[in-house]
Amino acid sequence: MGELADLVVAPLGQGFVRRALGAGLALGTAGALLGVFVVQRGLGLVSDGLAHATFGGLALGLLLGATPDRAIWVALPFTVAVALAIQQLRRRTTLGGDVATGVFFAVSFAAGVLFLGLRAAHAAPVNVEALLFGSLLAVSPEALAVTSLVSALVVALLLGVGPRLAYATFDPELARLAGVRVAALESLLLATTALVVVVGVKTVGVVLVSAFVVIPAATAQLLGRTLGTIVVLAVAASLASTALGLFASYHLNVAPGATIILTLGALFFLALLLRRR
Amino acid sequence: MSLALAARDVVVELGGKRILDGVSFEVGRGEFAALCGPNGGGKTTFLRAALGLVPLARGEIEVLGSLPGSAGAGVGYLPQAKAFSAAFPARVVDVIVAARRGSWPFRVGAAEREHARAVLARVGGERLIDSELRGLSGGELQRVFLARALVADPALLLLDEPTAGVDERGRTEFLELLEAIAARDDLAAVLVTHNASAVRRLANRAVYLDRTLRAWGPPGEVLDREWEPAGAFSGHDHDAPKDARCEDA
Repeated sequence: MGELADLVVAPLGQGFVRRALGAGLALGTAGALLGVFVVQRGLGLVSDGLAHATFGGLALGLLLGATPDRAIWVALPFTVAVALAIQQLRRRTTLGGDVATGVFFAVSFAAGVLFLGLRAAHAAPVNVEALLFGSLLAVSPEALAVTSLVSALVVALLLGVGPRLAYATFDPELARLAGVRVAALESLLLATTALVVVVGVKTVGVVLVSAFVVIPAATAQLLGRTLGTIVVLAVAASLASTALGLFASYHLNVAPGATIILTLGALFFLALLLRRR
Repeated sequence: MSLALAARDVVVELGGKRILDGVSFEVGRGEFAALCGPNGGGKTTFLRAALGLVPLARGEIEVLGSLPGSAGAGVGYLPQAKAFSAAFPARVVDVIVAARRGSWPFRVGAAEREHARAVLARVGGERLIDSELRGLSGGELQRVFLARALVADPALLLLDEPTAGVDERGRTEFLELLEAIAARDDLAAVLVTHNASAVRRLANRAVYLDRTLRAWGPPGEVLDREWEPAGAFSGHDHDAPKDARCEDA
């Protein structure tokens, strides 16, 4: 028990670790829940594209003079707009979701680079590394509050529309015949994914955030037989990896984003070995 | 007699092409109507229009006294192309419960499971209840989709080629099954099929559709007419499909 205390209790004595754990668990829950739907619909790449759009949004915020913490309020509408644009492109053209995402992905990221370059010479320097790889251990109380709020919102939303969204995912036409508003739900899913991704970029960074959406759901899908089981397994994998990865990062003194996602990856490969045939 | 379905001067255009042109016919309550005609003759489009999935350019379709799409649970539909996502974790019981609830069940209660079992029993599919959808054969899949069409005790069934993709033995069984369901005298159906024995066995009336309504009457009369090759109307003259009309199989 003494060792366990050293491994777990000692880190938790520090406020920044508690905030990191809280933000990680909140993000992990929201990402895993959304991920189940995103992955089922074959939109895994979209979360990655939205993360890159977030970079553009944050850079725009900084260009407009916002602090790095507040730039999120510019990135949020920016990324939701990109998500809806991807959806429109998918619906109204013959381009697939991957192509639509690929276009917005590159354009938003390039715009971000441009925005950062256009900032006044005397403006405070921007820590691009923190943008790309996140800063979970530097989560402010304000950022923790926003992350928790977003997570609660996602949980409430999916409790409400999850069953209809799932029906639309199974078979859009049968769902439509049952009165489900398929297109509206899909837009809602993408907009909500954008919301989670923007908040996630602040904590785990542009490069890693989509792993929070994709990997838990992918892992659960290898093991679960029903949608209910898959949801539970995805959230469990996400929470366990977040906690394990965070403590590992504390003791190894490396970036937590990396250890959390490597733990998620390890669980994924374990699931691959255990999967039902 | 009150009507299950009434089509009046129905015109449907898709992608600038006229698929149905001035089609009118009626199906009474309790009546089984077979919809025959060449491939591309608009049979599936007609069903989709009756479901409200395809807009009408002109005319109207009255379904159980309502507009297409608003008759709700009164209409049971068996689609020809199963468009469900193969990656989705769907068991048969989930599909049946989803059809009843109008949303996907994350958990199935005991009462719902019992109801699903009873519906599956009607189509001889009880043992499939816990099977995964993606592992089913063509015939098993048709049974499950017929069960889901029956789930709300509909007054009208729209069946799109229910025996397509089913092997010979399964087809005979499936026709017997439909015959038993048709025996319920208050249930009406529109059955799209290329199978003449299905028409003779099941239908009170046959409709021959090739963009326009070419014939409408007792099955024997419609089937025995000498139909010109489908190509004469659709423009594919030399490879008029073998199933271009209701063939004796």
